[in-house]
Amino acid sequence: MILDKYPAVLQAVPGGKILLTTTDDFINLGRKYSIWPLTFGLACCAIEMMAAYASRFDFDRLGVIPRPSPRQADLMIIAGTFVKKMAAPVREIYHQMPEPRFVIAMGSCANCGGPFHDAYSVVKGVDKVIPVDVYIPGCPPRPEALIYGVMELQKKIMRMKLAKGGGATLQAEKGSRDPAGGA
Amino acid sequence: MTREKVLSDILAQVPGASAAAAPVKDYPTVRLSQPSDLPTAARLLKDELGFDYLEMVTAVDWLGPTKTEGFLPAVTPIPFAAKAPALPVTPAAGPDIAYRPVLDLLWSFGNLKTHLKVFLRLEVSREKPEVPSLTGLFPAADWQERETFDLFGVRFSGHPNLTKILTPDFLQGHPLLKDYVHQPDEFDAD
Ligand code: SF4
Repeated sequence: MILDKYPAVLQAVPGGKILLTTTDDFINLGRKYSIWPLTFGLACCAIEMMAAYASRFDFDRLGVIPRPSPRQADLMIIAGTFVKKMAAPVREIYHQMPEPRFVIAMGSCANCGGPFHDAYSVVKGVDKVIPVDVYIPGCPPRPEALIYGVMELQKKIMRMKLAKGGGATLQAEKGSRDPAGGA
Repeated sequence: MTREKVLSDILAQVPGASAAAAPVKDYPTVRLSQPSDLPTAARLLKDELGFDYLEMVTAVDWLGPTKTEGFLPAVTPIPFAAKAPALPVTPAAGPDIAYRPVLDLLWSFGNLKTHLKVFLRLEVSREKPEVPSLTGLFPAADWQERETFDLFGVRFSGHPNLTKILTPDFLQGHPLLKDYVHQPDEFDAD
């Protein structure tokens, strides 16, 4: 029964067949189960991301379906080594995605440069270029970790409020987004 | 055609060429004496010996270990060790291995019919590294030479478009040189 699944979100009217909810909860519920990530991998972490999409781990059951165009995507998974030359294209793709848009930094490379922290060519963290919602540690993180990261993002989405800040997400240019989902 | 025949053919027809003291693995390796010999040797390899496939152009910077800021020295003293190991000065003997202030350029040619491989080596000064481009003979040399220019600063005279190919435009210097000092930019750690 749907009421058992979402006790805090939905309430039944006594004696009736109507379910009551708030607009925020209703919209967030829809967003939460239709996170469409951009098909986009940069290095070895992308192999684990592909595994997460494939049948053994089956991302589809969370409503995570890869999209080939940034115009149709909600989520950008930075899976791999993020080099300085890639910074400008990634910023452009990020701005082509419609709001609300989310970013997951997957793997040590995307978090902080990882094994290439001393290299001349690698950006020391995606949050130097675009805002990041969820950081997943690991080199590479297993598909379970990526799924867990998406589940954390879902929790974050459930805390979003339509009324504040005009849109749903913080209008940050870069850095880490407020983990409490403040905006 | 055997590798001995290839080697002797090149040595006989290119003046100043010698068999390299330290060959690349056990491939025939020829050390040229001056940059102007390179087109002669490449033309001989391509037109007469059938090496029509330029596999690789690269370089080695033989300058010894230099400590540049933010990077580890060649040998990091082991913490808590009774005595830190001394820095090696000349790690190995032989004219091709000792540290010295030169750029050692390397070309690899393949013969797809006989499955033979030949390496050419040429030392140039680190101050003004300049060699003739092979783009006229091998179109594949184009990007390889641009990469060697980008990472080592070697000028290939006669190259139609000798510009950066890998590093971003704002990166100053040639990162694979041993004395490269990185200028931190907006993407580096604070
Ligand atoms: S974090 Fe590790 S696995 Fe992931 S891209 Fe970097 S080096 Fe590859």
